[in-house]
Amino acid sequence: MASTATESDQKKKPRPTYTPGPYSAKLTPEDHRELLLQLYLARYFDVRLIKEKKRGRLRGTLYSSHNQEAIIVGSLFGLKPEDWISPIHRDMPAFFMKDLRSGWRNPDRMGMTVQEVCAQVWGRATSPGRARDNWSHIGSKAKHIIHSTSMLAGTIPAACGVVYADRMNGGDAVCLTFNGEGSTAQGVFHEAINFAAVHKLPVVTVIENNQWAYGTPAELEYSLEDFARRADGYGIPGLIADGQNVFDVYDKISEAVEWARAGKGPSIVECKTFRAYGHGDHDDDRAAKYRPADEVEEGRSRDPIAVMKKLMVEFGTLKPDEAKEFMAEGKGASEVTNDDFPPQVVDYLSEGVEFAVNSPEPAAEEGGMWVFKEGH
Amino acid sequence: MAAPAVSTKKNYLTALKEAISEEMGSNPDMLCIGEDIGILGGAFGVTDGLQAKFGAERVIDAPISEAAIVGVACGMCLNGKTVMAEMQFIDFISCGFDQIVNMTATYHYRTAGEVAIPMVIRGPAGGYGGGALYHSQMNEAWFANSPGLKIVCPSTPKDAKGLLKASLRDPNPVIFYEMKELYRQRAIEEDVADGDEALVPLGQAQVRRKGESLTIVTYGNNVYHCLQAAENLDKEGFSAEVVDLRTLVPLDQNTILESVKKTNRLLVVNEAPRTCGFAGEVLARIAEEAFEHLDAPPSRITRLDTPVPWVKPLESFVLPSVEKITEAALRVCRY
Ligand SMILES: Cc1ncc(C[n+]2csc(CCOP(=O)(O)OP(=O)(O)O)c2C)c(N)n1
Ligand SMILES: [Mg+2]
Repeated sequence: MASTATESDQKKKPRPTYTPGPYSAKLTPEDHRELLLQLYLARYFDVRLIKEKKRGRLRGTLYSSHNQEAIIVGSLFGLKPEDWISPIHRDMPAFFMKDLRSGWRNPDRMGMTVQEVCAQVWGRATSPGRARDNWSHIGSKAKHIIHSTSMLAGTIPAACGVVYADRMNGGDAVCLTFNGEGSTAQGVFHEAINFAAVHKLPVVTVIENNQWAYGTPAELEYSLEDFARRADGYGIPGLIADGQNVFDVYDKISEAVEWARAGKGPSIVECKTFRAYGHGDHDDDRAAKYRPADEVEEGRSRDPIAVMKKLMVEFGTLKPDEAKEFMAEGKGASEVTNDDFPPQVVDYLSEGVEFAVNSPEPAAEEGGMWVFKEGH
Repeated sequence: MAAPAVSTKKNYLTALKEAISEEMGSNPDMLCIGEDIGILGGAFGVTDGLQAKFGAERVIDAPISEAAIVGVACGMCLNGKTVMAEMQFIDFISCGFDQIVNMTATYHYRTAGEVAIPMVIRGPAGGYGGGALYHSQMNEAWFANSPGLKIVCPSTPKDAKGLLKASLRDPNPVIFYEMKELYRQRAIEEDVADGDEALVPLGQAQVRRKGESLTIVTYGNNVYHCLQAAENLDKEGFSAEVVDLRTLVPLDQNTILESVKKTNRLLVVNEAPRTCGFAGEVLARIAEEAFEHLDAPPSRITRLDTPVPWVKPLESFVLPSVEKITEAALRVCRY
């Protein structure tokens, strides 16, 4: 395309501010629109739950993925349905966004339904884990989602085991594990990545580097300019992605996934981003004090929805007028309204909330069940 | 007793080896993972020849990473495999603690039964060999206090094989304590069956010696100390019944209760430290369930609340011995 453009053409139509990588260059205009919708969906999940919490309808802590949605969306978009993921506390939307590409309402989709995830958040018996542990601590063997726990980095070894078993069975599934940069200081992070490297396991470790681990800045968690360089010590690739740019995330993760699927082994993909609010919603007020205001302002300045829209306009897959519709970007949960989101996003999530609210709590005696598997 | 010219009797270690090999042979979805278990065949040789037979994909030499060994095994089980994970010494299990108690033990519970983890973590355990602080431990109480784990500790070759086979067929995670001092003990060698005939179900205690005067509940190495103490008691006119628990979780409370209802006296012996040790749990249960049957305060002999020291006089000082058990048993009998 570019080779046939004349000088004057190029002046009329400015070169996009981001050059698509080999994978995102192949995305269709429909893919672009789908990705944008998914960004809205992840954002809406977040702000809707914060609103529900403020109305006193929810217990527990929401670890907001606000401003980090491009990592979840861009990572999941390149996976095959049978691939595995291992999300953590900040990736709540990932549970229902896995394999969304197969159709949001496709019953055979290899991801949880939004109903199931909402039921979990509301602590209802219809949650995949029957609300035995809270919030993000769910998973699904059937949907290839490793059940998350509180223990940071604690599921990376399981990710290794899952794909080891899959490979033995002749499969070629890849597992994406999501981790905050702070969790990389855990001993088990090292043990698992080292194991994966030794056995060339198809495990892609996605680092959501949002610069903060609760109240501790990244420079007190590790001493590298770019965390991705940690990969060098394991003899595996370490990639860096702009975590605000869904195309770049998609490119880098796809590269890592292809590498893994080809049997070349694990890799680390550091996605640079910024935690827009508190560690959890309980921490918003304190975070406003322990983090310098200018750092926060700068960190929030590249909302992934805005970045995506700007690039789509440049690529010609979104009209400038359309870009001005649904202005969710840059708005906090208290400023944003349903009108700032495409109706299909609001409807989709509302079905989940409706389902959750109308679901029963588990029976009390379930608290004593399933310690052991009986009757074998 | 004269040994036959060619003995068919097997030692404890051979029994374990056979259990693993037979289960690997009959279950194509079973894997083994541990430090030095493949090329070397295990620090003590429990997996000797296993990799040659089943290949390096199924018998994995792991890096020195106990947390990864357990966690990787957990992921394999999540994806349909059965895994035997070896701890080179059970003392090192602490390095994999979180992966055991928070990840593996809770899996069935937190998934409301969606996932079961058929994993056996086994390793050489116990004192009496001068192994010192980090090669002598019995840390079963940590795991007995972590719901979701079964705990097994065999004292004979037959039980070693039968219980390990049963553990490898159990859909739940099992921590399997092997008595390394018994691995090559000639005195306890015995005939051991092959295949399914060898199976010993979990959760069943075994009365090793019948008696009327008191019940001694124990497991592992201490079974033999208790049996010797029982002979000492015979000379004093008391007959001791010795109950070998074999499985701690789930506990065969009935066998203990039946015995105590008959003898009305109880001594519990184990080589783990006293405070919050498993002996204390047995005492508590009998106090709750059979108080009115007791003619004497139930008692226990355990390791002192110390680490296990190295040289013989120190080690003997802190661990249960035939003398300590005899003395305590006489006290209970004469109360
Ligand atoms: C093993 C462990 N230690 C401590 C915690 C408490 N904790 C939960 S999240 C968190 C910060 C995590 O930071 P990071 O990994 O950067 O992820 P982020 O929250 O920034 O996404 C801490 C300390 C925990 N959950 N697990
Ligand atoms: Mg962080």
